[in-house]
Amino acid sequence: MNDSVAEKVVRALASVKHLPRERITLESSLQDLGFDSLDLITMLFELENEFDISIPDDEARSVSRVRDIVEGVKRLLAATSTDLAAPAD
Amino acid sequence: MRQRRVAVTGLGAICALGQNVPEFWKGLCEGQSGIGPIESVDVSGLRFQNGAEVRGYDPACYFDSSRMDLLDRFAQFAVLAAREALRDSGAVWTPELRETTAVVCGSSVGGQNAQDAGFRELYKLGRGRVHPLSIPRIMANAGACHISMEFGITGPVYTLSTACSSANHAIGLAFRMVGNSEVEMAIAGGSEAPFSLGLLKAWEAMRVIAPDTCRPFSRDRRGMILGEGGAMLVLEPLEAARARGAHIHAEIAGFGMSSDAHHIAQPSVEGPVRAMRAALRDAGVHPQQVGYINAHGTGTPGNDATETRAIHEVFGAHTHQLAVSSTKSMHGHALGAAGALEAVATTVALREGILPPTANFTTPDPECNLDVVPNQARQAKVEFAVSNSFAFGGLNAVLVFRAHGS
Repeated sequence: MNDSVAEKVVRALASVKHLPRERITLESSLQDLGFDSLDLITMLFELENEFDISIPDDEARSVSRVRDIVEGVKRLLAATSTDLAAPAD
Repeated sequence: MRQRRVAVTGLGAICALGQNVPEFWKGLCEGQSGIGPIESVDVSGLRFQNGAEVRGYDPACYFDSSRMDLLDRFAQFAVLAAREALRDSGAVWTPELRETTAVVCGSSVGGQNAQDAGFRELYKLGRGRVHPLSIPRIMANAGACHISMEFGITGPVYTLSTACSSANHAIGLAFRMVGNSEVEMAIAGGSEAPFSLGLLKAWEAMRVIAPDTCRPFSRDRRGMILGEGGAMLVLEPLEAARARGAHIHAEIAGFGMSSDAHHIAQPSVEGPVRAMRAALRDAGVHPQQVGYINAHGTGTPGNDATETRAIHEVFGAHTHQLAVSSTKSMHGHALGAAGALEAVATTVALREGILPPTANFTTPDPECNLDVVPNQARQAKVEFAVSNSFAFGGLNAVLVFRAHGS
């Protein structure tokens, strides 16, 4: 796996909940990790800062597993680089 | 000590639906939405674009230039609402009355415009000083102080801040002071002007603001919409109001408070249940006597479902006979002013026998199985009405109103 993205996501989650990184796998759900609504918005803030992306509210509501978050971040990163690569015509 | 009955003899309001009570009430009855694109702040970098601002507001119409310098927008709204409420009450000032009148205001965030402007000077423009009137503009008690000074009111004057419950706490405590004979009159309510870029950014990060509009209790609700404004009620002992021939809009019959002691941002069912029960007990009213609830009804997925469960728990089978509407769908969520705007809406609803609707309603949500008076105001003679305010931090404040003459 490409997995600087996954690695960074796991690091962000661990830092939000003050958890050891080993506790978090791609299959972990935010519920299992004990995330409440404030942890969730703090995580989104950390991810937006880490990857310099903007995560829409609707997208944010749909995530539950770490894998979803990694995929969502990759999708947003890809969209950003497409925007940058698009010709300015 | 014998508790005195408390009458509402004056009303004042300014919000997205209008700059006085008749305009506000007309908007409520017509199910108008005061929600639209935010104009006072550049929101191009924000995830949401809509708010319920007081549009076309020109402070120069209401204040001379030296007072405008001193009053942040939120304090102006407090003073304007108090002026209208006192004019409406027909109260005649005497030295004794000035000493025995209280002013109790709610505000969650105080002078945001002044604070934001000062921070901009420092952090963005790199200047080394901020305006010398920053502190008197920013302090959350400024609204109450300016009401006190404008009318020479020298009794107890204070502001309290319990986020979105501020105004209900303010009105409730003023009701207590009048009822307990601590004061002979009170001006109570709240005001707020939260449209500053810094605060809007903080709300954006909280991810509770709807990208479109406020649809309380609808299945497709996507969050709250911020509003601004101010509203004040003049409260007097019922007997004194009758004796001076005052026009009595309604009575405040009870007040209840509770804290969830649960979570700083997630509501509980139990806390609101205990506050509603305490308010009904204080009023000496059975749940079956209540005909209308002005809900907290923010339009967030969490609040509306939780509030619905709390209402069912308190009112049981009678819930199906209850009309429950959220006027935030029209005037937005004005934070520390919300309860005051809703108290004015509830008072006029009882007086006129018309229940304001929940606007922008689209699809029923099984989790919000209430009669929400969707989109159309409704004629209904109601004797008792409840107005709920629940705040971040789990602070709940509930008022019970009684129609006058019933």
